Amino acid sequence: MFKKIIITVLCLMLFYSFALAQEDTIKIGANVSLTGASSMWGISELNALKMAAEQINQDGGVLGKKIVIIEYDNRANPPEAVIVNQRLIDRDHVAAIIGLAQSGTFIAARTVAEEGKTPQIGTTATNPMATVAEDGKPFKYAFRVCFIDPFQGKIAANFAYNELKAKTASIVYDVGSDYSSWLADYFIENFTALGGKIVNEEAFRSGELDFRAILGKIKASPVDILYVPTMQKEAGLIAKQARDLGITAPFMGGDGVASPDLMTIGGEATEGFYFTNLADLADPLLSEWLEDYRAIYNTDPVLPNPVMAVDALLLVVDAIKRAGTTDGETLASAIENTKNIQVLTTDNFTIDPQTHNPLDKPAVINVVKDGKFEYVMSYSGEN
Amino acid sequence: MFLQTMVTGLGIGSIYALMAMGYCLVFSILNFSNFAHGAMIMLGAYVGFLFCSIIGLSFFWSLILTAIITGILSIINERLAYRTLREKSAPSLYLIITAMGVSIILENLVYSTIGSNFYSYPKIFSRNYIEIFSSTIGLIDIYSFFVSIICIILLHLFLNYSKMGIAIRAGVSDPVAASLMGANFNVLIRNVFFLSGIFAGIAGVFMGFRYMVYPQMGWITNKAYIAAVIGGLGSLPGAIIGGLILGIIETIVSVYISSVVRDVFSFSLLILILLFKPLGLFGVKLEDKM
Repeated sequence: MFKKIIITVLCLMLFYSFALAQEDTIKIGANVSLTGASSMWGISELNALKMAAEQINQDGGVLGKKIVIIEYDNRANPPEAVIVNQRLIDRDHVAAIIGLAQSGTFIAARTVAEEGKTPQIGTTATNPMATVAEDGKPFKYAFRVCFIDPFQGKIAANFAYNELKAKTASIVYDVGSDYSSWLADYFIENFTALGGKIVNEEAFRSGELDFRAILGKIKASPVDILYVPTMQKEAGLIAKQARDLGITAPFMGGDGVASPDLMTIGGEATEGFYFTNLADLADPLLSEWLEDYRAIYNTDPVLPNPVMAVDALLLVVDAIKRAGTTDGETLASAIENTKNIQVLTTDNFTIDPQTHNPLDKPAVINVVKDGKFEYVMSYSGEN
Repeated sequence: MFLQTMVTGLGIGSIYALMAMGYCLVFSILNFSNFAHGAMIMLGAYVGFLFCSIIGLSFFWSLILTAIITGILSIINERLAYRTLREKSAPSLYLIITAMGVSIILENLVYSTIGSNFYSYPKIFSRNYIEIFSSTIGLIDIYSFFVSIICIILLHLFLNYSKMGIAIRAGVSDPVAASLMGANFNVLIRNVFFLSGIFAGIAGVFMGFRYMVYPQMGWITNKAYIAAVIGGLGSLPGAIIGGLILGIIETIVSVYISSVVRDVFSFSLLILILLFKPLGLFGVKLEDKM
């Protein structure tokens, strides 16, 4: 019995001294998906965060302290994301959390960040409701560094109508995903406002593998474009099965398909697949960062998550410097009042205090050509 | 459009049927649902990918070799996970729980060793589909449909005309009496698992060709299980008819109502059929079904 007490006390002391030794660091949490269907982006995201933290520390750190990234895997699963947030806040006492990448996981985990008074910066959570409550007021601790889906849907509709000259469209979306069903709505709203016509609007449930039933229906009434605002797995399968059925309309998607998986799964059928994206490797602003990334990891980052995560980290670091503290409440107000700072993807980054979204973040259109993503054009934030 | 719907339905149904046959075989002799069958199909898809894409064998040899390997894996599965339980005459509920455990272990084993990446089989046909009366049929659908038919005929011949097949059927109707007559029950079971593994391998290769390969792909066998129950667990013709019925109904619901409520319909159908025919359409009376 006595022995046990001694051991317990020793363990506690060890734990405490460990905690004390960590005092000269600032912990930033990373709530990322390192396994599962979204791991491609999550791993790139974490790599980029570690690289950026290393750079910041080499330049002298923040408030004389070093930045430490603490990451846990959420498998892009909302309940897991909630647990990761709890652990980062209650056990690791992080100053801020970077992530999440999906609107659904962000919305699920947001409550924990609000209660724990810890700012949370979404990387690619593009649903409008992620940072703004139903009454139109922003959540105090919820921010993001990406454009939002209404903007993405609008650009997709504009591009399809004006550049691809599409007058009719059909849509296949995932009814089990906030991201997919809202993006479908924003596309429909803007496409019809421009004068286009939506012929078929078909939904499926997350995890589906066989889309031939709904594609057969779409084939019966041909359209100029097939809008597929889903993740890469479904988009790849839909492209493959649509071409097999003899549907010839070009495809268009959102940033959810921006992974090489799209071509792995869909093969030749994905040639000419257009999609809206948050960033492109061809962007000259990213060239120096891209070189560093390739030098360290010997591979290309899977965009857009890594550059968004770096934007988020730079946003947090800037706010900590201005606030002079890592206290959650002060930090959140500092982030809210961010104006014209330099981040990775733009020299002019501003947070809108009304919505906690960035103002005027640009968007790009990509297309699959010869099995690779190619840059088509950019839309500035005002469009 | 109606013809296209029926063709698509038959195509989807034939995959369900192929998967359902593995459930049936094991159920008919051991009277429990081998939920590890889905994981075996997933392994089959990976093994097939290895042969077809990495080693570069032809479709035919990939299919044969994969079937043999999953057959062996299935025997190992039975030997390690089920035999001890069986010898201690554990109730079939425990076997089902063990099977679920095996399926989770295998899925996570693939996650931790191969990873969560998606893989896609190489293209084998210069054309993926043919057109008949303005409706398109995938070549892989035709293949899987005929392979299912061939498998069922071979299985029928094996069960009815070979000595081992007759012994298996004897084991199905009365394990104790069959053992007393000199049939080695453990050997019978080993062979049944080998057969069900073969079906898992074939279904896995077809699934991989048609969709893709990833660790969670085994979930789709839930549908195959429903197909087996609709047809009557333990009845091989029932598994095939059940699979085709389910495929066609799902497609019709997707096209004419909405694909969102598709599963509501297929599961309601399951309940409805069980209400009127508790043993399924072609069910045979067994002591307990789980």
